[in-house]
Amino acid sequence: MRRSIVFCLVTTLAVAGCGVGEKPSATPASGGKVELSFLVFETPNLNAAFWDAAIARASAKVPGVTIKKLVTPNVDRTGYAKQLDASGHLPDILQSVNPAGFAEAGKLAAFTDDELKNFIAPTAGAVDGKVYQLPYNTQVIPVVYYNKDAFAKAGITETPKTYQDLLDVSAKLKAKGVTPFVVGGGGADTWADMYPLTGTVATDVYAKTPDFLTQRKDGKVKFADADFTKAAQKVADLAKQGYIDPAGLSRSYADTEQAFRDGKGAMYPMGSWFATSADNNKPGFEIGAFPWPSDDGTPVTPTFTGGGTSVSASAPNVDLAKKWALAFDEDKENNDAFVKLDGSIPAIKGYTPPTDMGPVYQATVAIYQQGMKDNSIVNAFSQETGDGSLPPGLADKSALGVQDLITGKKTAGEFASYLDDQWTKATQ
Amino acid sequence: MTETQHGTRGEARPAAPRPSQSPRAGGPAGARRRSSARIGPKLGRFSLFALPGLLAYVVFVLIPIGMTGYYSFTNRNPFNPPTKWVGLRNYGDLLGDQEFRQALVNTVIITVIVAVFANVGGLLIAMLLDRPTRLYVALRGIFFTPVVLSAVVISVIWQAVLTDDGLLNSLLRGVGVDDPPGWLSDPDLALYSIAWIITWQMLGFCVVVYLAGLQGVPRELQEAASIDGAGRFARFRNVTWPMLAPALTINTVMLLITGFKAYDQIQVITNGGPGTGTTSTMAFQVVQTAFNGNHIGYSSAMAAVMLALVATVSVIALRLLQRREVTQ
Repeated sequence: MRRSIVFCLVTTLAVAGCGVGEKPSATPASGGKVELSFLVFETPNLNAAFWDAAIARASAKVPGVTIKKLVTPNVDRTGYAKQLDASGHLPDILQSVNPAGFAEAGKLAAFTDDELKNFIAPTAGAVDGKVYQLPYNTQVIPVVYYNKDAFAKAGITETPKTYQDLLDVSAKLKAKGVTPFVVGGGGADTWADMYPLTGTVATDVYAKTPDFLTQRKDGKVKFADADFTKAAQKVADLAKQGYIDPAGLSRSYADTEQAFRDGKGAMYPMGSWFATSADNNKPGFEIGAFPWPSDDGTPVTPTFTGGGTSVSASAPNVDLAKKWALAFDEDKENNDAFVKLDGSIPAIKGYTPPTDMGPVYQATVAIYQQGMKDNSIVNAFSQETGDGSLPPGLADKSALGVQDLITGKKTAGEFASYLDDQWTKATQ
Repeated sequence: MTETQHGTRGEARPAAPRPSQSPRAGGPAGARRRSSARIGPKLGRFSLFALPGLLAYVVFVLIPIGMTGYYSFTNRNPFNPPTKWVGLRNYGDLLGDQEFRQALVNTVIITVIVAVFANVGGLLIAMLLDRPTRLYVALRGIFFTPVVLSAVVISVIWQAVLTDDGLLNSLLRGVGVDDPPGWLSDPDLALYSIAWIITWQMLGFCVVVYLAGLQGVPRELQEAASIDGAGRFARFRNVTWPMLAPALTINTVMLLITGFKAYDQIQVITNGGPGTGTTSTMAFQVVQTAFNGNHIGYSSAMAAVMLALVATVSVIALRLLQRREVTQ
């Protein structure tokens, strides 16, 4: 009897133990292929069919690899990757996961200069000079998308060139009974409320101090300094003047986009990925686009470059995984699909987007190209990756803080001090 | 047929004590030995059946709790190794942590609202449904439906109802309310909206438990009270309510635990907002600190405090309510 009990005990513990920290074998799987897990996220645009086709195209270029697709339960792929990592199951290849934290902890493999030779901004998002996420695309964050019909009805003939113009336009719209801005951030999509602040931080902080967050890391500046506080004050004022409706904060990202489509506001500050959504699913009015204006009209173009694949340092075959990741991100058809479905602006040398792109996407790319021409590209606050980025968790805290700004629960100064406190907590 | 029935084992035979028997073998001690010897083989066999469940409990509950306790004394951050022993520092930091205090207050508010309103509402509905007709039996099923649905599903449904463009505000606008409340966007209302959703979900559970309690109240007692001249309220106060004490105990303890553990609804509906800490609960704060901030050690201290708090409050409530059951 005792032997039976011991046998059961040992067997059960052995079975339980097998499940913990199990990693794919380093040796090729059956058929001489290495199986690599690939973490992706699905959205209405980037659906299962899209990922399956894109994976098949990359796999066709890299023999010897079998991809096992893993799908995140929601769009927060970085949070999910952390949970998988905590259980010892970090996927071998990760799509659009913020490498902050993973890279410093040695969990990701760095790409070499030679591997990055086809990318326009090969050092974007670098951590200590090394790149852990392929900088395959650029996004302008925010672009102000606007309802041309609502502008026309309010007698607005020109898009705002200065911040005062933006306030004047807002006043005219409000006088006509139209809420000037559609800003959301309900449910798990708190991040969706960030874009007015991302705009004001770009024009009031990053235009003067492009490496603001690096300086914040070194203790040379604080969020409570005048420039950042001014940027926050602008958002608080927009809400105070009724140009942003706090009720919108209950709307999820999808509901916020729908609210703009339904004409519940005239301007929609959002990432450039909205462009193809606007083109593919046209609302009952024409949509235009303009960059977030600075005080004196000097062009400032906040962008994020990166967002591609990363490779786990503990993948069964790191070199093969990197080769597959490069094949995935450099594939012309894959990039065409990203452009058409997600409004991506590929940052790959020699790439040209499909010629049949819609007017909103064209207008968005024009803003980016003008920014390149003006040399006015700066980081997009809360979207940064690499050395000059927010500590883990702070982007989410910022988004919650913005809700306080919009509802009037915090003044701009309190919001800035809150961010300084959170920075200290996050880096302890 | 067992070995004992065959009498093949001397130690199992129910022999009468003899003067020559040594004290070790005879008397009460000897009887105990014989009894345990009879139970021994059965216990072994039963243990074998219990072992997988026991091991699952140890592996998936006790060991994680132990690990959480251990991590709470470290600075564990998987993205910033090495992990070092920090003693009670995490617990000391918790004392001064404004966000955790706010989460604690929010949790208590939600718990109190859920415990009170689900109990009261559940009792009222149970009394209305305590009739044997088919309609009322069907209604019991309808009231119980939210209990069996996932909290995430419930949250998605209520989000669609309470969002600014949702069903409730559309109805209010339809009847002429120009500026309906921001049920989820107003920092002063959002926490109460969350508490209402949890109350709504738990209502069915309370109804079923109270219905079971009501059906256990002997009809003769009610009739005797009526004959003695007791009115409807007096009958409820002096007959029905005391007999419902066990149901009250079950409901209250379950509601306290549910309130203290509130997480899913916050994650789906408000993400802790609108604003900083408005609807953040202890469980939400634990997950955010662990998986957004990567501070596993600190979040483990939060989880340990939460565990201690839930256990203490539940045990106190249980003891107090059970005492009431005994004294009735």
